[in-house]
Amino acid sequence: MRFKQLSLLVVGLLIAVLLASCGNSTNTTAAQPVATTASVAGATTASVAGATTASAAGATTASAAGATTAAGQAGAAAATGSQPYIPIISKGFQHQFWQAVKAGAEKGAKDFNARITFEGPETETQVDKQIEMLQAALDKKPQAICLAALDSKAVAPLLQKAKAANIPVIGFDSGVDSDIPVTTVATDNLAAAALAADKMAALMGDKGEVALVVHDQTSRTGIDRRDGFLNQMKSKHPNITIVDTQYGGGDQLKSTDLTKAIIQSHPNVKGIFGANEGSIIGVLNGVKELKKEGQIFVIGYDSGKQQIDAIKAGTESGAVTQDPIGIGYKCVESAVKALKGETLPKSIDTGFHWYDKTNVEAADIKPLLYQ
Amino acid sequence: MDNVLIQMEGIEKSFPGVKALSDGQLELRAGEVHALLGENGAGKSTLMKILSGIYSKDAGRILYKGKEVNIPNPRTAQDLGICIVHQELNLMPHLTIAQNIFIGREPRKGFGLVLDETAINKQTQELFEMMHLKLNPRTKVSELSIAKQQMVEIAKALSFNSQVLIMDEPTAALTDTEIMDLFRIIRQLREKGVGIVHISHRLEELRQIADRATIMRDSRYIATVRIEDVTINQIISMMVGRAFDETAPEVPENVEQDIVLEVKHLKQGRVLKDVNFNLRRGEILGFAGLVGAGRTETARAVFGADHYDSGEVCIKGKSVHIKSPNDAVRQGIGYLSEDRKRYGAVLGMDVETNIVLSTFKKFLGYLGWVNKGKTGVTAKHYIQALSIKTPNMSQKVKNLSGGNQQKVIIGKWMTANTDILIFDEPTRGIDVGAKSEIYKLLNTLAHEGKSIIMISSELPEILRMSHRVIVMCEGRITGNLPIKEATQEKIMQCATQREAIL
Amino acid sequence: MAVAAVQRRLVIRADALQRVLAFGALIVLIFIFSLASPNFLQFNNIVGILLATAVNGVLAIGVTFVIITGGIDLSVGTVMTFSAVIAGEVITVGQMPVPLGILAGLLAGGFAGFVNGILIAKLKIPPFIATLGMLNVARGLALVISGVKPIYFNDTPEFNSIAMGNVIPAIEIPNAVLILFAAAIIASLVLNRTILGRYTFALGSNEEAARLSGVNVDRWKIAVYTLTGLFSGLAGILIASRLNSAQPALGQGYELDAIAAAVIGGTSLNGGEGSILGTIIGAFIISTLTNGLRILSVPQEWQIVVTGAIVILAVYLDVVRRRKK
Repeated sequence: MRFKQLSLLVVGLLIAVLLASCGNSTNTTAAQPVATTASVAGATTASVAGATTASAAGATTASAAGATTAAGQAGAAAATGSQPYIPIISKGFQHQFWQAVKAGAEKGAKDFNARITFEGPETETQVDKQIEMLQAALDKKPQAICLAALDSKAVAPLLQKAKAANIPVIGFDSGVDSDIPVTTVATDNLAAAALAADKMAALMGDKGEVALVVHDQTSRTGIDRRDGFLNQMKSKHPNITIVDTQYGGGDQLKSTDLTKAIIQSHPNVKGIFGANEGSIIGVLNGVKELKKEGQIFVIGYDSGKQQIDAIKAGTESGAVTQDPIGIGYKCVESAVKALKGETLPKSIDTGFHWYDKTNVEAADIKPLLYQ
Repeated sequence: MDNVLIQMEGIEKSFPGVKALSDGQLELRAGEVHALLGENGAGKSTLMKILSGIYSKDAGRILYKGKEVNIPNPRTAQDLGICIVHQELNLMPHLTIAQNIFIGREPRKGFGLVLDETAINKQTQELFEMMHLKLNPRTKVSELSIAKQQMVEIAKALSFNSQVLIMDEPTAALTDTEIMDLFRIIRQLREKGVGIVHISHRLEELRQIADRATIMRDSRYIATVRIEDVTINQIISMMVGRAFDETAPEVPENVEQDIVLEVKHLKQGRVLKDVNFNLRRGEILGFAGLVGAGRTETARAVFGADHYDSGEVCIKGKSVHIKSPNDAVRQGIGYLSEDRKRYGAVLGMDVETNIVLSTFKKFLGYLGWVNKGKTGVTAKHYIQALSIKTPNMSQKVKNLSGGNQQKVIIGKWMTANTDILIFDEPTRGIDVGAKSEIYKLLNTLAHEGKSIIMISSELPEILRMSHRVIVMCEGRITGNLPIKEATQEKIMQCATQREAIL
Repeated sequence: MAVAAVQRRLVIRADALQRVLAFGALIVLIFIFSLASPNFLQFNNIVGILLATAVNGVLAIGVTFVIITGGIDLSVGTVMTFSAVIAGEVITVGQMPVPLGILAGLLAGGFAGFVNGILIAKLKIPPFIATLGMLNVARGLALVISGVKPIYFNDTPEFNSIAMGNVIPAIEIPNAVLILFAAAIIASLVLNRTILGRYTFALGSNEEAARLSGVNVDRWKIAVYTLTGLFSGLAGILIASRLNSAQPALGQGYELDAIAAAVIGGTSLNGGEGSILGTIIGAFIISTLTNGLRILSVPQEWQIVVTGAIVILAVYLDVVRRRKK
């Protein structure tokens, strides 16, 4: 009797597996409809266009970190007397990228004589944890606050509170989708990923199969980088087909194994884009373990020692880097400026840059890379 | 006296709420089978658990071969050569027979790293051959019947080459042939000079096997006698002696009333095989039988706590299907579990809450708020009516004595106003004074027209309280005796009417 | 007698049922995926599946021991990370030879397990809570010790070859896979042939009976948790070697995959039952499923649903088996 039930269950489950696997043909298109929302965020500064056009040359000189200009203002900030307290709520702290943002913020705090704290939830899905952190930060009655919201709508009520208490809010990274922040210090992820797509297309001779390994399918950065890449390919490079998009949670090991599965199921894949540091390390590992180095073009995002080494060694064609140190620095700078009543532009683009073997040691790139 | 192995004197032991032993004594000689007799709760098991290092004594001393010894744990007892076969089985069902027997002292090979499985299987086989047991040492214990498991326990104890072997009701679950085998082994051991303590409720066995007997009552030593010198009746009167110094048994008149509960052909796996009985209004129906006869299982099935395979339960002539305790309460059946701590009372909660627990609905006001005023009044009423000794209503139940805990549970079912009450071992672990209060309470309830099933392993209690006695054995009803015809002997006879086991 | 014999055979069958079913499921999975995609049943991909099983498999072997005792260890994932970081610090910062680093990593895992054992056996903290605490302690320590930075083994290429090298040059099977099988064989011997294994079962089957038989229950419990910690340490070495870096933020969530592998393989969460073979099969089922679904480009949301359903099915089998008895 029971055996019958059990065997039925097993069979049912296997059917479910099969059904799920039949759905794969629709999968690659499923990622695309978000494009319209993305274009809104895309309208930032002219530097984007500059970056895209300049990309063929391999080196861009778009808006830089601004560290040199900011240094001059340090004296002015110090003159205001007591240190303002500026808590910075980030999206994470364990990853190298956030550690670099933190380093930039600390530098800014020193230059502009502010007191900062830097914290963020463990993963980019912990919206609730971030809200708790923001609440706690507000309770400490800070002079200003910097926030990279995981979910803009979820933090809206707290932002209202900040506004009511006259605490200026500085958005950073993917920013805060709201009117309240006085400015947003961010990278245009859509445009940056589009740059990666252009680079990939150029490497592949504008035809062939490409796959993506993305860290997350719900976070802003994950969505923007995926869609920026996909849309650019679709509109500008129609002969390139996107064969697969997989998500590894930014976990190096999982990303390694799923990269290998991608290559296994699409033996003709010519290029793989890793959308953040953890993903690209996984891609590099997977390609290496299958001994496909040199046969598959790999393009990454951000930096980190492993990625820089791979670019120097030629196993990775290149990567798009943001300016995490600049983001952190600009955040604190903007907060101090806002406290002084200065008007700020609605958004500050800290820019993004293509780097590869040729310019990885260049003076304008090297400071942007973290090890 | 040089052949005296064990001398226990003035042993005392208390557990929270209960004095389990106030004066335990025992003298065991080499090469004798010494029966330890007494009613349930007389303190036999406690005394033996102290001897085997499971409990530590509060007072008194133990001499082993004339020297005072301290037995803080089972290991020390084993090292002294004192072994116990427990009443409740203590085997590891997932391990094989041989692995169970040698647990804790496995022979090893390969620099002491690898277990020598061959050796333990061989030694176990030898042991079984000596015991004339047909068992494969490699069989998992979970695949054995209870009787076979019991034999494994005994084999385990024998494997220690014990000087002192304590057997706590070893025959309760055995068939006659198995008992004969066991006695043969016991005689072999006696020949070798082993001292054996034999705890049993089966007095008829004593003539066959025991040399002397120590009788205990109400957690005290009463006497040690040579079996040849006494009759069974003399032993019984020493065991139940308390009956004589109390008021005569309160046997209420047998009311011929309507049948309120009828159980027909109740079956449940291997535990219940065709159980039939009925219960009348105002009747106290005693359920007697040996441990494992299926009394508690019957009660739990009727109460809906366990499922039964087939059969019919009728309440007041109407066939009902009781699927859960909730159904049972709605049909007017209450059950007071034998294990109060686990099932009967919520120990961590206060007296008041426990009393109203199963009838919360009655006390709910707007929006499900509990009407504290009403629950308080009710609780206070039962605390007085049942003379529950508690400093106040908000005392946690775990801080009360066993008898008072039992009264709280009775109070709970009285608020539920159920017509049928099943008491499973209502006086287990309760001291003498509280016992007679509970007896009075049962009588009052019966007078008020409640129908009561009282499961008890204490024959005097059954004989004293019941209007009628149902006896069970191995999942069947083997006796239905009006109180006038019921005697201890007759009940014991019914309780041992076993089916031949294949 | 005849009836009894039939009954006994049935009992044995019910006992091994889950392992047989799990193995059957693995075969069926491989069969289906092979039909569905020509890219599945290829040497490279099979090696890929084996390699993907290595870390989870070693963790699952460790956690099988504690589950058989009737306990649980939620800290295996982060203890793994902690061990990796310790090994990394010893090798890169301490400039010690690689074998010493490996030893340090293993010992770090063993120590964390030992602390778990003390908390559970001596301080009587329920295993769930004690190891949940250890999960966070180990994770925090991994971050603190590493300075929230990955530790790279670039100066010691031999470290990478622990997992990725080929001891047997003829066949291209990475060492990590061989280490997994070696660990499984050793664990199986420990579980079935040694005193520690015997008491592991005894504790889970009837702890009180073991205690009354004179077994020093506390000491053996500590030993079992320590052993689990050692396997977490080994997993730490493997993951660090494969990634050529100790990633301090990794590890959380790995414990659930490890527990799932053990349960799918027939280890009973109530204790007393389980086998290393079953656990390894369970770990292979998980990685085969993940790999196959990825090869078929099944949306990831569905991959998670299917894996969850498999675990529920496995636990249900466990419940059914118990009810039968």
